[in-house]
Amino acid sequence: MRRLLLALVVLAGLTAATASGERAQRGNLIVTLDGGFAPQALPRDRPAPVSVQLKAGLRTTDSTTLPRVTRVELGIPGQGAITTRGLPTCTARRLRNTTTAGALEACRAALIGSGKMVAQVKIPSQPAFPVHARLLAFNGKVHGQRAVIVHGLALRPPTVVVLPFLIHLRPGKFGTVLTAHLPPNLGPWPRFARFEMDFHRRYVYRGRERSYISASCPLPPRVPLGIFSFAKATFTLADGRRISKGIARSCHAR
Amino acid sequence: MSRTIPITLMLAVALAIAAATAPAAEAPTRDEYVAGLEKICKPDAEATQRAMKGARGDIRAERFDAAAKKFARATAIFGANVREISAEPRPAADAERLSKWFTYLKRQESYLGQITAQLRQDHPTKALRLIQRFIHTGNQANNVVLAFGFHWCSFEFSRYG
Repeated sequence: MRRLLLALVVLAGLTAATASGERAQRGNLIVTLDGGFAPQALPRDRPAPVSVQLKAGLRTTDSTTLPRVTRVELGIPGQGAITTRGLPTCTARRLRNTTTAGALEACRAALIGSGKMVAQVKIPSQPAFPVHARLLAFNGKVHGQRAVIVHGLALRPPTVVVLPFLIHLRPGKFGTVLTAHLPPNLGPWPRFARFEMDFHRRYVYRGRERSYISASCPLPPRVPLGIFSFAKATFTLADGRRISKGIARSCHAR
Repeated sequence: MSRTIPITLMLAVALAIAAATAPAAEAPTRDEYVAGLEKICKPDAEATQRAMKGARGDIRAERFDAAAKKFARATAIFGANVREISAEPRPAADAERLSKWFTYLKRQESYLGQITAQLRQDHPTKALRLIQRFIHTGNQANNVVLAFGFHWCSFEFSRYG
């Protein structure tokens, strides 16, 4: 298995700033992004296990129906590592049409995170209503490429969505990018509103404890605090518009 | 003489009316205001990006003098930008909100100056704590004018190195 240097990052502080997340607005559409990692105090010289939380959402200023999102891109920096060596993988096929319990039964060994999502459903001639889904994230591969496979289950109305986020590496501040295309077969009615995910997984491989995500705070001895671009969320809408927001966080070196 | 006084009075009254009505006539709509400010902010935001390139790397590598020079340049750009955009006529309905926005921007300018000073004095920890406040204030500023949909005039930490 590979161990890839990823982009992770930084965070902490700025509690007040992150209370409701940072926001940006284009027209009547507001994007929010919030997140952090724990622990915030990290070694200067080697990666240590961390958990990462990301929350992102869209809303309109005038309560009109949300536009349809066709692509979600989450970028994180390259100061951390995603380790999948020895971590089992799951496939989207094994998760399709399963309940949360069924998904865990099929792929518990590949579980890397959990969370929740809210979508807005707009059926013609009816007022829009929210749908709440529980999310599970699994380590996976799609066509040989590393991926995070997200399983979402809503009870009312009963709906299962399996969405792979492909992991790409590229130059720049956000060197690791997770990209998901929302398939047209989801239909025109569900509109993504917001999600939050916690990524955290410790496991043992060949007698060594490992973490799915690790990060360091690579600062010189005199500098105890670092500030980094932590994450960026970009939503592509069905009409081709894109709306994005980036956030910064800090880490404490120990 | 008796004729000049009424004429002078009439002129004064006319000028006063013109002066009172001129700002209302010149006040832009919000869309016009945003378009005008974005034109001013774009070159300054790009200049900031150029000036700050590598600043975070400089701090991490303890090149505080180099980082201070970059922050000093960014402070000058930021200050000039705030002065320029604050002189633009504002939409009357947004006066209060914009006044609050400019308060935050001036606070940010002050933080940039303090960050520069701390880096020059070789106090990286103080400088970094001020950077945290600078970011926090920038986010507060963004929230005040969220509805304006600024791009170049909004605060983006990623432009600072």
